[in-house]
Amino acid sequence: MGKGRPFLEVFASALRENYRFPILEIFAFLYAFGTFIFAGLGVLGTVAQTSEIYAHGLVNSLTGMPLFIFVILILVNIAYGLGNDIERGVVQTLLSYPLKRRSILSAKLLSALGIAILLFLGMQMLALFVLAPDIILSYFSTVLLSYLANLSPALLIAGIVLLLALVLKRGSVALVIGIVLYFGLSIIGSLVPFLAYTGFDITKAYAVIAPNMALDRYYSGVGLPFDYIGRWWIPSFSEVLFYLGAAYVLVAVIFLLGYVYFERRLGI
Amino acid sequence: MSLIVVDDLFKSYGKVHAVDGLSLRVEHGNVMGLIGPNGAGKTTTIKIILGLLRQDRGQVRVFDEDPWNNPDIRHKIGVVFERAYFPSHHQVLDYLRRVCRIYGASESRAKEVLALTKLEDASDRTIKALSAGMLQKFAVAHALLHKPSLIVADEPTANLDPAARSQVLDLISELHANEKVTFLISSHILPELSRVCESIAIINKGKVWASGNLEELSVKLGAKATRITTDKPGSLADEIRKLDYVNRVEEDSRGVTVAVNMGEDERLYDDVPKLAKKLEAKIVGIESGTASLEELFKLAVKASG
Repeated sequence: MGKGRPFLEVFASALRENYRFPILEIFAFLYAFGTFIFAGLGVLGTVAQTSEIYAHGLVNSLTGMPLFIFVILILVNIAYGLGNDIERGVVQTLLSYPLKRRSILSAKLLSALGIAILLFLGMQMLALFVLAPDIILSYFSTVLLSYLANLSPALLIAGIVLLLALVLKRGSVALVIGIVLYFGLSIIGSLVPFLAYTGFDITKAYAVIAPNMALDRYYSGVGLPFDYIGRWWIPSFSEVLFYLGAAYVLVAVIFLLGYVYFERRLGI
Repeated sequence: MSLIVVDDLFKSYGKVHAVDGLSLRVEHGNVMGLIGPNGAGKTTTIKIILGLLRQDRGQVRVFDEDPWNNPDIRHKIGVVFERAYFPSHHQVLDYLRRVCRIYGASESRAKEVLALTKLEDASDRTIKALSAGMLQKFAVAHALLHKPSLIVADEPTANLDPAARSQVLDLISELHANEKVTFLISSHILPELSRVCESIAIINKGKVWASGNLEELSVKLGAKATRITTDKPGSLADEIRKLDYVNRVEEDSRGVTVAVNMGEDERLYDDVPKLAKKLEAKIVGIESGTASLEELFKLAVKASG
């Protein structure tokens, strides 16, 4: 028997638990509903100087409610699919099978995160293809960059919830902390411009956690008069890529810590 | 050959020493019972043996491998946990088939183990719909799927009614007798352990205080005794105390109770009539007895403080 078969079985088992009826159906409906409503509003409401900025603005408006649904789904999947399974002893049973610990965690995460991302991006891309096919075909790299920038804070919080669920072995506590963090981050995000105005500028630090801030600033600077640019932090495109890279390095480090903890330290 | 070798094992949770220098061996084909009061370190020891917990110090070898780093040895190990938990939204038969595929075993084995544990009628139910007793039987069925050569069971009969307990114990005896499966079983239900186990390790405060079969334990703990009923207990007791293989002599108005070293019963049976003849004492009766596991357990716990 191939080494991949046990992994696929654990993955299939996690899928069945994470997306049992009617969870998948409800989330698919919410995604579809939210995506097409916001896409419709976005297509109608987004005004931009260039098509590239329009593409970015469209992605921003499109991700609103569906991104929130996505965050809730991945946090619940990780907190309950992993934290509660550790708490209740299901992971203990999985660890009695001839599988490496990292395979068990990968199978669980692939189900909790991978499928949710696939569902989210699939629905979003479909909406873009239906409502603005010229944008997605002509500015695919901008669309991709915008999605990467929008998803990274959600993935960061998912990583933190993973770590908390492993260390605390309590899914519900990890979930509550994750949701509080998500709302906290959103509130801070909306306060960043005001804080900058009062002299307490945390824009760059915030952009490491939420690189969409840098991308927004980059596009907001396109076409502005030079003297106006000087008053705000308007990053160059390479700076945007740097902040995006830094955000994903941070996400990768958090997940790596989760793997190391699960593989080397977690006693059940 | 030892399937499980545990040497000088230590494991602490903060300031609590759950396992404190524990050593243990389980030989191939043996059924070993672990007994000890709550918090003695049984479950922690079992979890370290299964590679679920990492020890602070000491060595654990299972099939001559380190269980933490070698998940492949789990192909040969079946596990029954005290509280059995499985992905709860799967159907019983579907989940067992899935586990067969994980182990690379034939899927037909799933129905076989359900029949062995008398759970055929529950095969279409979801796992979460099983009662506590059925779930425990399901855990036993799950442990047998891949025909393991070693089964580690932590309280395997917990939650079971007397009939189901008896079934599980019969199954253990059968697997041991017919397929030479080795067992390490932890249980609080001492009569059950004495029914199926060939050897017992008594654990308290993170250490093995005594191990061996019932007779060996009785001798080690001074619980195996020969009762001699006589009309001259005082003088007979004095003579018996002079014998070099005698551990303990107690006298009362009707006789003498003697504990001897392992395997020295016959010598005592030879010597007592001679001593009685010398003292002109009348021997009314002489009989040996082995203590029950429960008595031994109490003695060991008392001895370990």
